[in-house]
Amino acid sequence: MNVILGISLILLFGVFSGKVAEKIKTPAITAYLVLGILIGPYFAGFVSLSVIKFSGIISNFALSLIAFSIGQNFSLQIFKQIGKQVLWISVLAAFGAWLFVVIGMLMLGLPLYVALIFGAIATATAPAALIMVIRQYKARGKFTDILMGVVAIDDAWGLIMFSVCLAFAQKIHFNQATSMLQVIFGSMLEIGLSLFMGAIIGWIFCTFAYHIRNQRDLLIYTVGTIFFTAGLALHFHLSVLLACMILSTVIVNIHEESFRFFDVLQTIDWPIYLIFFVLAGANLEIEILKHVGFIGVVYFVARVLGKCIGTYFGAIFSQSGRDVRHYMGIAQMPQAGVALGMALIAKSVFPELGSLVFTAIAATTIIYEIIGPFFVKISLYKTNQIQAR
Amino acid sequence: MQVKNNMQTKVISVKRGTTLAQLLDLFSSFHSFPVVPVVDDDNTLLGIVHIQSFFEIFKPYHHDLLMRNPLSMISREPANIFDVDIEEGMGLLVIVADIMDTKIVKIEQEEDLKKAYDLMQLHKREAIPVVDKDKKLVGIIGIFDIVMKIFKEKGLV
Repeated sequence: MNVILGISLILLFGVFSGKVAEKIKTPAITAYLVLGILIGPYFAGFVSLSVIKFSGIISNFALSLIAFSIGQNFSLQIFKQIGKQVLWISVLAAFGAWLFVVIGMLMLGLPLYVALIFGAIATATAPAALIMVIRQYKARGKFTDILMGVVAIDDAWGLIMFSVCLAFAQKIHFNQATSMLQVIFGSMLEIGLSLFMGAIIGWIFCTFAYHIRNQRDLLIYTVGTIFFTAGLALHFHLSVLLACMILSTVIVNIHEESFRFFDVLQTIDWPIYLIFFVLAGANLEIEILKHVGFIGVVYFVARVLGKCIGTYFGAIFSQSGRDVRHYMGIAQMPQAGVALGMALIAKSVFPELGSLVFTAIAATTIIYEIIGPFFVKISLYKTNQIQAR
Repeated sequence: MQVKNNMQTKVISVKRGTTLAQLLDLFSSFHSFPVVPVVDDDNTLLGIVHIQSFFEIFKPYHHDLLMRNPLSMISREPANIFDVDIEEGMGLLVIVADIMDTKIVKIEQEEDLKKAYDLMQLHKREAIPVVDKDKKLVGIIGIFDIVMKIFKEKGLV
């Protein structure tokens, strides 16, 4: 099967599976992932290996767009808007999940670089499942407000932690550095250069953006700049995620009407994400699943534990009430999109153990997405966000 | 062709604290809901209310934040207006500050009409507020004002 035919089937089946997901009240991401597994080489085999090979390009496309969109959260205006509760809880919950999962994985005997990657992936939370529950039960209240803020912002912390951990993991694993000092220096240099490059491109972007007069040129200019940043980062072996994130962070803070660049992207990004997630599903190697078992369980438990304990301390530091302290941790259980994206990167960077990481994350994603909403529901009930009607 | 010579200076603006009920009442006799600037006490532009703003009522708090994360995969279509639960008190509880659009596209009155037109094209807006040097609201300019100006120049009207 040629690539165009493969992509077209993914898009068409994707529309259909999205509709089915809507009917059975499941997040679209889960549906795309399952679709990917079903039409992938292990089941129906619609999608041939040539299409799967295409996922490297698509995931770089998708992830640079994702990082660009998430970077816009780092504006002064947003930090004022979300308040200290959301900041404390999201930072500490992300850190808690990272710490617990890293320790858990090290205890299982996995190498440090794999543990670091698992830990960083654990920080991400998927908002889709959460929003569905909130909408379905018409939940309302202070707890819901804080929770929405936390899940909105924590992917940003997650992407930063992942980029930093990835830089460290690469230095440790590929023996580019011999001593710990070299590892730290090498990764810091990579991170610093990525940030510097993204910031410079962002500044140049804004300078010329004032000459753009219509939507068509705006779209081309924006997409062109994002891919230029991503491509340049790849060329110099820098972090694509960090470079694209800082690109939009600079834009959002120096351009007065920066929302136009993000709004215009929304006209084209959905099909790219759809292909990205279906290909993620198709990448799942069923035979590795057998080896995942115990790692998956430890990852699952350690992440939830870390989220709950991190949230607990975040709530204490921000002087939030008992409800937040006790119930906001489990409400952050769902995990999907960003985690899968990170896992796909890990898979492409570390060919041997990366597949294990990816398979474990894909498998736990499906479980998190199935039982996560249930725990969200419990926490919303316990905190009286859902009124009995 | 400066914006200030072609804009509408009689603008109906609202305050942050204007209630939903007052807002609906204000425009109930209009053909369609216009672009309404939101200003504070010294007339500084804070945001706008347009027809899309009404869909904000049905969205959870911080929804706009989540929209910034593409992977939240939130449907971008407006809520199904035929299937929403609206409680009686909402007309008084919801205020303009809750629903207004803070993505402000504005233009200074000294600017050229061509620039106003470009801005409207760029952001797909039919009308944008006009401000003075201190960001105080002084008028509003719509596509129709520009069309009229051109037609007048050509001797059509």
